[in-house]
Amino acid sequence: MNAATAAADAQSSRIEINGVGKRYGDLQVFKDINLEFREREIVTIVGPSGCGKTTLLRCIDGLLPVNEGEIRIEGDLITQPREGVSMVFQHFGLFPWKTVRHNVGYGLKLAGAPRAEIAEKVPYYTDLVGLKGFEDAYPYQLSGGMQQRCGLARALTMEPSVLLMDEPFAAVDAQTREILQFELLKIWGMRPMTMVFVTHSIEEAVLMGDRVVVLKGRPSSVFEVIDVDLPAPRDRSTLSHPRFAEYREHVWNTLMDEVRAAEFELN
Amino acid sequence: MDRVLTFVNSDRPYVRWGTVLLALLIGGVIWEIVGLQFNQAIMAPLIGDGVDHPGTLPRLGRYLFDDEEYLLSLVQSIQLFATGFGLALAVALPFGIILARLVMLRVALESYILMLYVTPMIALIPFILSILGFDFWPKVLVVYLFAFFPILYNTLEGARSVKPELLEVAKSFRSSELAIWTDILIPYTLPYALTGIRQAAGRALVGMVAAEFFLSTSGLGEELQTASRNFDMAGVLATILVITGLGITFMKIAGVFEQKFSAWRGLDR
Repeated sequence: MNAATAAADAQSSRIEINGVGKRYGDLQVFKDINLEFREREIVTIVGPSGCGKTTLLRCIDGLLPVNEGEIRIEGDLITQPREGVSMVFQHFGLFPWKTVRHNVGYGLKLAGAPRAEIAEKVPYYTDLVGLKGFEDAYPYQLSGGMQQRCGLARALTMEPSVLLMDEPFAAVDAQTREILQFELLKIWGMRPMTMVFVTHSIEEAVLMGDRVVVLKGRPSSVFEVIDVDLPAPRDRSTLSHPRFAEYREHVWNTLMDEVRAAEFELN
Repeated sequence: MDRVLTFVNSDRPYVRWGTVLLALLIGGVIWEIVGLQFNQAIMAPLIGDGVDHPGTLPRLGRYLFDDEEYLLSLVQSIQLFATGFGLALAVALPFGIILARLVMLRVALESYILMLYVTPMIALIPFILSILGFDFWPKVLVVYLFAFFPILYNTLEGARSVKPELLEVAKSFRSSELAIWTDILIPYTLPYALTGIRQAAGRALVGMVAAEFFLSTSGLGEELQTASRNFDMAGVLATILVITGLGITFMKIAGVFEQKFSAWRGLDR
């Protein structure tokens, strides 16, 4: 464990979040967030509904401006979406009038990539996410899980150094979600990058994350950052690892009060 | 009773087409009987006896296959329609999307657009006449005005309802404004615009006849007027059938495009 931590420390940080706060009018969503994400790690962000975890992710992507503090990626101040950063959306965000092939190639085409590069990368990543044979299908012909595979391929095709995942599997049924989690871990293992993964599922946060960031409070801030020390690579057997259950219970106990409060507020 | 209901509500093609044909046949027979009862200056039958009661269909045949002057009028009318309608398309489509993208401009112009959308354009014809006169172009303006607002209104509604999620994706992937138009705004708006275009085709046809009637007479409007001045009801009805045919053709064409470009919409989850 010590060796692993030392190796992680040796990596330079890729994303720095310094004293960041976000307001909508009078409503302070989160405040004073300080985080550092390293070059090759998966950080999951978990918190109760309405804690602003998705908003934070959008700020990192440059889709939303922050009101306080600053976010830097590879040293650059983020004020708008930056090259090398890709996002996978909970709502998939596929273009219904484009086929899988053209949805996957969307980012490359926008970036003005040469035809040959598009012709090479689009089939590669389409295969990688398991959509081989569906290149000419339209999104409405695909199941939710397959649509999100397409969304993932669209982001991966950009070969980003930062991959932002906005509750990517929340709109997918439970069995498909498990399959996608492990496939994502496998794909990440082939080409590790900084992955920031927002989820409301505590299990998913512990399973996917090298570190789990727990957001809490109103306005929310970072309550705890947990180093998840589970054997790599993570796979189905991780779920039955005794320490997995410990981490899960730990995060659960941390969040329980807030989850209850949020539930009653929503009802 | 059940069997009767099942038959009446059947969607089998031969029942459907049989029903359509039967309905047209009954309509035709009624027209024929009524037509034969009246003087030819009041009403003309569909087929007629060729002597006291000249028929509408024989007249239509002569117009279309044995009357160069009439065909010239038809071409003249189609030219007028195509010019006015084409200009309306060329302006209303981009303008609708621009209005959806520039909120302040939209807010400023919205009430004018709504007012003009519901204004019977026929009421503006005296103005156009007194300001612009009798040329070809004032007539084009009439057709243009009839067609413009349905297209603009529906395009604007379509462009306004573009899903913000898709615009977010475009922003995240660092899209240019031009690419936002070609990747999202145009394909998303097209089915809505085509609904407007189909409405506009019907209205532009009214505009065409009205312009040819009230400004300098020309084309089918003139044919209609001449026939009616001569109490030639067969001629009037034949020309009306020609205009109806044009209208159905334009609507069908727009409908085909509408289906083609909205295939993704009905099944979108």
